[in-house]
Amino acid sequence: MSFVDFLEKKLSGPMAKISEQRHLRAIRDGVISALPFIIVGSFFLILAFPPVPKDWALALWAKKHIFEILIPYRLTMFIMTLYISFGLGYNLAKSYKLDPLSGGQLSVAALLLTITPQLVKGQFMLPMTNLGGHGLFVAMLVSIVSVEILRFCKTKRITIKMPEQVPSSVSRSFEALIPVAIVILLMSLVTVVFGVDLHHVVEQVVSPFVKAGDSIFGVLVPVILIVFFWSFGIHGDSVVGPVARPLWEVYLAKNAEVAATGSQNLPYTAPETFFQWFIWIGGSGATLGLVLAMIFFSRSKYLKAVGRTGVIPGIFNINEPIVFGAPIVLNPLLIIPFVITPIVTTILSYVATTTGLVSATYIMPPWTLPAPIGAYLATGGDWRAVVLVVINIAISFVIYFPFFKIYDHKMAKMEQSEQADSGTTLSM
Amino acid sequence: MMKVLFVCSGGMSSAIVVSALKKEAEKQGMEMEVLATGTGELENEVDNGWDAIMVAPQVRHRLDSVKKIADEASIPCGPIPPQAYTPLGGPLLLQKLKELLNM
Repeated sequence: MSFVDFLEKKLSGPMAKISEQRHLRAIRDGVISALPFIIVGSFFLILAFPPVPKDWALALWAKKHIFEILIPYRLTMFIMTLYISFGLGYNLAKSYKLDPLSGGQLSVAALLLTITPQLVKGQFMLPMTNLGGHGLFVAMLVSIVSVEILRFCKTKRITIKMPEQVPSSVSRSFEALIPVAIVILLMSLVTVVFGVDLHHVVEQVVSPFVKAGDSIFGVLVPVILIVFFWSFGIHGDSVVGPVARPLWEVYLAKNAEVAATGSQNLPYTAPETFFQWFIWIGGSGATLGLVLAMIFFSRSKYLKAVGRTGVIPGIFNINEPIVFGAPIVLNPLLIIPFVITPIVTTILSYVATTTGLVSATYIMPPWTLPAPIGAYLATGGDWRAVVLVVINIAISFVIYFPFFKIYDHKMAKMEQSEQADSGTTLSM
Repeated sequence: MMKVLFVCSGGMSSAIVVSALKKEAEKQGMEMEVLATGTGELENEVDNGWDAIMVAPQVRHRLDSVKKIADEASIPCGPIPPQAYTPLGGPLLLQKLKELLNM
């Protein structure tokens, strides 16, 4: 067995399989289901703090109406955990072939029951903070527990059975009664009777991870893992994402919360948007530099053709045509820059962000925007982010170029000899 | 008319390969409808009368779960080889599709 086979069979393959674990998959799909609300909600932050000089009419208008402008943000991205919890419960129940709607609703009930309503001026108010990034880990925990209770009741047949004449929709609502009762009693016991603030408890547990994930190593580890998987042609983000994305969403949510107060001192460097706009320019492995080299400097006809078909998708951060076409997959010559480039640009971008040369990201533009535009929007309109993107593209080009040249030379030679071969056959 | 479903992570990248297969099929005079979808949407899409399901190489770790869904709907399902997963991979892709369908 060659070394590459060994890595594929013993390491990348099994690791990729782990990411397909049922609960991880439900977390992944739950978070993804909330992304449209996070993306759209986050754009109201740009509207609230338009990237124009402070004395412009638009800026003055926004400043005056900031509370109203941010209402759509407050009811979407700011309480993203509420949306995610429904999506998580829905998807987990679906994977067990249980009623997805019950799973989603049960998860939301369990999450809400971790929060105590407050009586303010004779009206009940629900504090929203824990429905946002702060509450995400609790939501993951209680959503999974509730759906497991639903499943337990179903498999052990702990349900109220209705006679067959009863319409199925009616009997289904009775079927959910016992699991709903168990979940509500359990959560009330924890939150109301014992007075345990689950959010506080879970925060103690996860805070070391939250801190570590935002350190330079916490940023480099997912970067290296993602390119490692892609080197075997496995979708790295879809393997690393389920584990890392909850952390990334927490960073984004907390940055957005601070940005919504008008402060520039954002607490976190590494939301997913950091990776998306500063590192994965042109797709995983920062391949835009390679694409440029292929278009302008290929002597090999094949590489030029692949470069041409890859440039438009590459501008929109889709690089499968290059990854499989060049190919980078299982091609040591191109894997080396494919791994080195994002490591270098990650370190540079991390330093640039933590030292305040470039603003941290807190807005989530759709990932298929061209990188300079995406980086500009993600930082709430920081032109220095665009400069960083251009520098990172240049770095990508410089690192890929020598490896590309060697590979191109090899390919061009092969094409020539093939041509010569077919030439002789023709003349014969 | 043959209907082929491509499955990748989000349905974005396989959309590029879709046109490669369509072009090659046209060359060989086959009428073909090809759609790219993500693994998340597969279950909603699977019952729309597909003749074959092909799984993109970068999500081959999900091949088993896709196959299970395809088997339940009794649709032939196979992986797309990495070399075929490029805009220039049409001929190989069509060949693999024919092998999958025993054509």
